[in-house]
Amino acid sequence: MAIIERPSSEVATPAVVAPSQALGAIRRPVASKGWRSWLFTVDHKKIGIMYGVVAMVFFIVGGVEALLIRLQLALPDGRILSADQYNQMFTMHATTMIFLFAMPMAGAFANYFLPLQIGARDVAFPRLNALSLWLLVGGGLILNASWFLGGAADGGWFMYAPNSGPVFSPSNGVDFWVLGLQIAGIASLIGSINLIVTVLNMRAPGMTLMKMPVFTWMILVVQFLLVFSLPVITVALVLLMFQRSYGATFFDVSQGADPLLWQHLFWIFGHPEVYVLILPGFGIISEVLPTFSRKPLFGYPFVVFSGASIGLVGFGVWAHHMFAAGLGPVSVAVFSISTMAIAIPTGVKIFNWLLTMWGGKIWYTTAMKFAIGLVVLFTIGGLSGVTHSVAPSDTQQTDTYYIVAHFHYVLFGGMVFGLFSGFYYWWPKVFGKLLNEKLGSWNFWFMVIGMNLTFGPMHILGLQGQPRRMYVWTEARAGEGLFNFGFWNMVSSIGSFVLAVGILFFLINVVITARNGKQAPADPWDARTLEWLATSPPKEHNFDRIPVVHHLDEFFHRKYEEDPNTHTMRQIATGEELIRAEEAAADSDIHLPGPSYWPLVLAIGIGVLGLGVVYGTPVMVVGAAVVLLASFGWVLEPSVPEAIDYASPDGDGHSKEIATHG
Amino acid sequence: MDTVNNVKSSRRRISTTVAGLTGLLFLAGCATNAPQDTWQAKGPNAQKISDLQWIVFPIAGVVGVLVLALAGYIMFKYRDKGQPIPTQGHGKPTAEIILTIVPALILTVVGVFTFRAIFELAKTEDTEMIINVTGQQWWWEYDYPVQTELGINTPIISSGQLVMPVGTKVLLRETSRDVIHSYWIPALNGKKDAVPGRIHLLRLEADKPGIFAGQCTEFCGLSHANMRMEAVALSKEDFAKWVASQQKAYTSPADGTLAKEGETVFLNQCVRCHQVNGLKKADGTPALAAPDENVYSGAAPNLSHLMSRNTFAGAMFDLLRKSCRADVWDATSEEFGAKYLAGVSESCLNQTDLRAWLRNAPAMKPMYADPTKLTKTGGKYRGMPNLGLTENDIDKLVAYLLTLK
Repeated sequence: MAIIERPSSEVATPAVVAPSQALGAIRRPVASKGWRSWLFTVDHKKIGIMYGVVAMVFFIVGGVEALLIRLQLALPDGRILSADQYNQMFTMHATTMIFLFAMPMAGAFANYFLPLQIGARDVAFPRLNALSLWLLVGGGLILNASWFLGGAADGGWFMYAPNSGPVFSPSNGVDFWVLGLQIAGIASLIGSINLIVTVLNMRAPGMTLMKMPVFTWMILVVQFLLVFSLPVITVALVLLMFQRSYGATFFDVSQGADPLLWQHLFWIFGHPEVYVLILPGFGIISEVLPTFSRKPLFGYPFVVFSGASIGLVGFGVWAHHMFAAGLGPVSVAVFSISTMAIAIPTGVKIFNWLLTMWGGKIWYTTAMKFAIGLVVLFTIGGLSGVTHSVAPSDTQQTDTYYIVAHFHYVLFGGMVFGLFSGFYYWWPKVFGKLLNEKLGSWNFWFMVIGMNLTFGPMHILGLQGQPRRMYVWTEARAGEGLFNFGFWNMVSSIGSFVLAVGILFFLINVVITARNGKQAPADPWDARTLEWLATSPPKEHNFDRIPVVHHLDEFFHRKYEEDPNTHTMRQIATGEELIRAEEAAADSDIHLPGPSYWPLVLAIGIGVLGLGVVYGTPVMVVGAAVVLLASFGWVLEPSVPEAIDYASPDGDGHSKEIATHG
Repeated sequence: MDTVNNVKSSRRRISTTVAGLTGLLFLAGCATNAPQDTWQAKGPNAQKISDLQWIVFPIAGVVGVLVLALAGYIMFKYRDKGQPIPTQGHGKPTAEIILTIVPALILTVVGVFTFRAIFELAKTEDTEMIINVTGQQWWWEYDYPVQTELGINTPIISSGQLVMPVGTKVLLRETSRDVIHSYWIPALNGKKDAVPGRIHLLRLEADKPGIFAGQCTEFCGLSHANMRMEAVALSKEDFAKWVASQQKAYTSPADGTLAKEGETVFLNQCVRCHQVNGLKKADGTPALAAPDENVYSGAAPNLSHLMSRNTFAGAMFDLLRKSCRADVWDATSEEFGAKYLAGVSESCLNQTDLRAWLRNAPAMKPMYADPTKLTKTGGKYRGMPNLGLTENDIDKLVAYLLTLK
């Protein structure tokens, strides 16, 4: 189960021993370099990077879909896309951005940084971690394969019944959608359990929950949201699958079904999902704002508990997506009030971020600009959200562009800006090189201007009565004067290309940094949390010695102490020195989980099994056989490594086992 | 000191200007007379919503400006000017509690008004008139049940345009024959979904005569974008005239006219799905449409008084030529009734779109009308198929349809 690394003061390259001899049929892969080392890895950092790459690819795919949508809507009666293509396009844009970009990208950050922030050497279940990644890839491929196999899903990401039924959506698109999401859902569910166990069991000594970095806290809250909300969408997807593929009648009105069942199931998942998307962004900027304000987060416990209460109340607001669905006044009133209530902890967060900056010494790096961008844009999106909570007012706004404006301010302004802040903040940690700040500035300003040009006018369009999800808009409803729908739709479409250029700057920055970037200093931002106690990039085992934690912002407090006379902070060590000190005191034996073939094989098996729903029983049988094989392989891989694996290369025999639960 | 004050006041001036300009831009940025504007209530239900909007939007706006101004101030004031690293304070619980309570109080106020409006808008006991509204892909059917006090002695079935009397509390009873649709006339009320298997209620009331635009706002498949509707409010006297016109007996065109030949075409083709009340077959028996045998939703628009309405094909196209349409839409509330009741005359008919529609309907509006792709619906269409009519047939049909007043 474990590979053994010889402790060393050099930059470590892991020495991998031969696989167990006892079960020779089930050998472990041994490559530590090349593509095999990525395909079969269980290292949370490699998995994190792969999550990031996969998510970025889908971000580009979803972005191209968005640009096509804006091209179609730039002029009245657009002809770029047919009605059918447009319906597929907006369905897949939302599905891709939510399930294949935003969640996996948050997963990338969580995978990479959560163990580092809590002073652990990996996640609790490394093989499951790899399985999550490959299932996500499989789900994403299945979802997008539908484009080439008869047409993508065309029912909107909310996929309301009965419009999602076989009669109303006769292509296989919805089938692929159901399977893709189901498989990606398994990935998220496994991942969430994995991270919860990691946080609860594997924190460094001394790191109580209330000394945990806020990013880790928010990720923990998100994982609980996922654990409780994903089973609901799983059930809904199973019902839909049986309805479409096996003639069940769960949403068939002629058989006595009520189509609102789907809406409730979908939004009981769907609303917590919104917080699944936004809280990682909140977590990231709760690291970035203090670092670049040179102050601790203002009101740490309030931020943590407001995050937790957003998560909790997030389960009690789902029907605000259904204010026009005919629920009756009592339900509408209750959900109206609960929706207003959730604005309160959200407001608390915004005030705490602003007060973190208050009295600080603000350093405007690109990461900081994106973080402040989040605060500003999310405030706008949050306030338009409050106007929706007023249910009667929402019956005018729902399903118009005003809603599209709102959730793009919240999700693009909130989530995506948070992620970009994270890219610039943690890039040197992951790759050892600083992203170019000048290009970063271009990246930021194009994105912030493009984002406001694209989504700002949608407020006006929506309040003026332009409904969403329409493949064309007509001049008959566009109003008169210069500032009619034509004007604002054109502004929005132009804005979307400005936004795209902003993202292009980021991609260029990545390429240039990879080619010409200089080695980053060990502690480029004078950071505050434990991940910066590791080298950049971190060694395979993260920490040479497991740190003992005494403070919130442990790393900062190892560098600075307060002068008792002047009450200013006095530097007592540099980050560089601290890292060297750790290396000097490295643990003698470090056990890490070994690579494995089986997560990838199992993920392929599950994917094929899923395709069997569309392509028939024989395919399903093949898939099931692979799943069975992979399960046996997985189980028979020695969970406790053979003695030979334990034999320390220096013959010391002293060992600290940290992760043997694959 | 002077410089500091100057900087401060100029900063204040800048921020006031920016805030003012943004506000102006937003107001000026609105189109004039957008037909679906959600801020121009034309009836008491929409007015209630508008009143609420005028509470919550200004509050949100003021809070937003304050927070953003604060953010701007902090960003400027605490930029790195070489000051020492600040004391590592962890927050002030009093500040936290105040910043929690203040938003909570504001929201409580908003909540009270919201609560009241929700229940007021759900009232049904004051209803004065009922209209059944049924959505299907991709048009709305209106069915006026018998209400003798309003002169409705036999049910009136119409589509595209909802006609109602002003100053009357109308209750729509919505449902759907296929997927979920949503009925929305922004000038009169918010939207309410039409869900198959359920009946949802929506209050409508118009203050003055006029015509109000709407659009289906629940995604309902291929041609969702083309599923529109209009609500027409008539004075009570004009409404009585409209009711009478809708209950007028059918008169067959005179023998030997083009329209009479059109009636034959209609009997051969259109009547399979479209009902014209009172129309008789050549043998004298009533011609009964059977849309349930041909269309998946089981319904097709009743064309008995087609030319008394101004739109066709799910209100996607106007029956009136542009100038005639503008004449109706821009009429003052005093003149509106007469102009609307005039219906569609031959000179005002939008021949281009109507003929194109008769020539090849699926080319005009995306529908599931390809006979080779209807396996999942058992051969039934979703929408109107291409009937392969000759130009000659189309001439006759147009002449006939013009008689359906």
